[in-house]
Amino acid sequence: MRPFLLEGGSVSQMPVAEGKNVQQTVELLTRKLEMLGAEKQGTFCVDCETYHTAASTLGSQGQAGKLMYVMHNSEYPLSCFALFENGPCLVADTNFDVLMVKLKGFFQSAKASKIETRGTRYQYCDFLVKVGTVTMGPSARGISVEVEYGPCVVASDCWSLLLEFLQSFLGSHTPGAPTVFGNRHDAVYSPADTMVQYMELFNKIRKQQQVPVAGIR
Amino acid sequence: MEAPPVTMMPVTGGTINMMEYLLQGSVLDHSLESLIHRLRGLCDNMEPETFLDHEMVFLLKGQQASPFVLRARRSMDRAGAPWHLRYLGQPEMGDKNRHALVRNCVDIATSENLTDFLMEMGFRMDHEFVARGHLFRKGIMKIVVYKIFRILTPGNTDNTEALSLSYLVELSVVAPAGQDVVSDDMRNFAEQLKPLVHLEKIDPKRLM
Amino acid sequence: MADVLSVGVNLEAFAQAISAIQALRSSVSRVFDCLKDGMRNKETLEGREKAFIAHFQDNLHSVNRDLNELERLSNLVGKPSENHPLHNSGLLSLDPVQDKTPLYSQLLQAYKWSNKLQYHAGLASGLLNQQSLKRSANQMGVSAKRRPKAQPTTLVLPPQYVDDVISRIDRMFPEMSIHLSRPNGTSAMLLVTLGKVLKVIVVMRSLFIDRTIVKGYNENVHTEDGKLDIWSKSNYQVFQKVTDHATTALLHYQLPQMPDVVVRSFMTWLRSYMKLFQAPCQRCGKFLQDGLPPTWRDFRTLEAFHDTCRQ
Repeated sequence: MRPFLLEGGSVSQMPVAEGKNVQQTVELLTRKLEMLGAEKQGTFCVDCETYHTAASTLGSQGQAGKLMYVMHNSEYPLSCFALFENGPCLVADTNFDVLMVKLKGFFQSAKASKIETRGTRYQYCDFLVKVGTVTMGPSARGISVEVEYGPCVVASDCWSLLLEFLQSFLGSHTPGAPTVFGNRHDAVYSPADTMVQYMELFNKIRKQQQVPVAGIR
Repeated sequence: MEAPPVTMMPVTGGTINMMEYLLQGSVLDHSLESLIHRLRGLCDNMEPETFLDHEMVFLLKGQQASPFVLRARRSMDRAGAPWHLRYLGQPEMGDKNRHALVRNCVDIATSENLTDFLMEMGFRMDHEFVARGHLFRKGIMKIVVYKIFRILTPGNTDNTEALSLSYLVELSVVAPAGQDVVSDDMRNFAEQLKPLVHLEKIDPKRLM
Repeated sequence: MADVLSVGVNLEAFAQAISAIQALRSSVSRVFDCLKDGMRNKETLEGREKAFIAHFQDNLHSVNRDLNELERLSNLVGKPSENHPLHNSGLLSLDPVQDKTPLYSQLLQAYKWSNKLQYHAGLASGLLNQQSLKRSANQMGVSAKRRPKAQPTTLVLPPQYVDDVISRIDRMFPEMSIHLSRPNGTSAMLLVTLGKVLKVIVVMRSLFIDRTIVKGYNENVHTEDGKLDIWSKSNYQVFQKVTDHATTALLHYQLPQMPDVVVRSFMTWLRSYMKLFQAPCQRCGKFLQDGLPPTWRDFRTLEAFHDTCRQ
């Protein structure tokens, strides 16, 4: 239940740079995981829709450009996550999607902004690894890697342990500690922390127009 | 805190249009006991659930004429219960064949950082109050009998004062749009509560 | 092998005895033949009876004679020796067909083996008596008959005393919180929460720890009806492993006369799991081995090791 999403480093660090495409890199990663002894356990999907305040409200509220993200995670099928960048993350049930329809006059979804990652779940001992292909519209944009170490509830407690595990299948592409780890020292990790990391990863990938990138989360 | 109705299954994508059918009335404090007694006999749960909720009403003002209203409720007597976010659409009186007021409604259970999040979305708190009362069920019908308390110092729910010398009585059903038949059941039930309380469809516009 | 020889000397007597038995058998059957045939046809009834009785008497006499003869011979044969070390089984050595039925050699081997077993068991019991692993104050080796009827005093401590000991331990370790409950009579159950790392369910009998289960901080430790769940194990492999080690620790920390010291030592040891996910193995220097962090804590130094790295 404790996913740790690791934000990837720069593009050059990523395996995709070795003259392979996204699909081949995903296969490479999953093969390494299988060799390690990880077992396939179904699939997963995380999606994210971007909303911005409709033109009608601009000016009057003075908060133009503020983006709101509404996300879903197949790991929590009855929940819906709503986030602001550097802001609070609301965990709600999926009726929140209905509310967003009602709020159409105030919040509009950005055109073709829907971004998602889909892939396979792997279980290795108490680790849960999810390797996904990030797609935006029709094109594959990058790779997401999520590692969850269920027994530990405080992120900073197990960062070294997690790093060692990541090195075992990512090799030199192992990322640095995500910001979530440093934020609150002994706070109990929650699903919202996972979603924040996915949101940050998606934003990063969005900005890197068309360049294939592997984000490690 | 009002629990989301059981008929409401969570959906993704906002396809299901849920409507709340509502009848309202009120009783004076001294008639409360006899009404509770009557409801005990009529409803499924012999002993009513009591509740003590804090409700905040938030407004989002755009350039449209009417602001967007959301209601955030939290239970004050049940720690750990999720917050309840509620959207209510414009009420429709309908014709004589429909015996209850109908309005669009969306019920959402959320985490406890709801107020912060609504502020971040641009909502501003309009008013708040505390509601204390009893909840009965009869099939899919929900009957709440509660008293509204004014909050004297903003944000301090300990310092309150009763708004009136009466209790508000609401009979409501949440059902998918177009199921006007439920309003017949509601009328029949309301008939059985007479003359203790007269439940009617009250047009809020008339009161403004 | 004097017995064997003496048996050989009497072989003659054996042969005679066997023929005497045969004679006895035939005379006995003649008695019954006579009875079966009944009276022969004679001129007079009186004659018939006389002849039958005379015949019957003759037969009985011969039975008597044969029996006497057999008794005489049996004295000659002598009794089979009873002071053979293997008693009657010693006679198996006389079986000439060794290859087909090697019973005797097998028997000897089994005897030697059981002898040795008894010897080793005796040694082991002596040694174990010195290292009292028994978790009560009873003296080892005291026979069941002489064991005192009353329970050992350490098992009938007043609940108030147990409460005191536990609350003192609770105050000793700020990062550890101990919640004591008594859902079933006087036996206490503890729910120990160690930081934000793990929870331990400890089932006590007086001040002895009977059973312990380790679970994750975010795992449910209660059954549906709200009682402590003392049976189901953790969903995580790492805590299943720690549970095994904790059970080992229960057997290690033993001091029957001072049960409170035992509980305190166990809790001190348990506290070293505070850094379960943060401490690398003291031997191989790594965090993970087969996907598990160092789950073993040395009983003396409290250092972290992987299960397979410990000395």
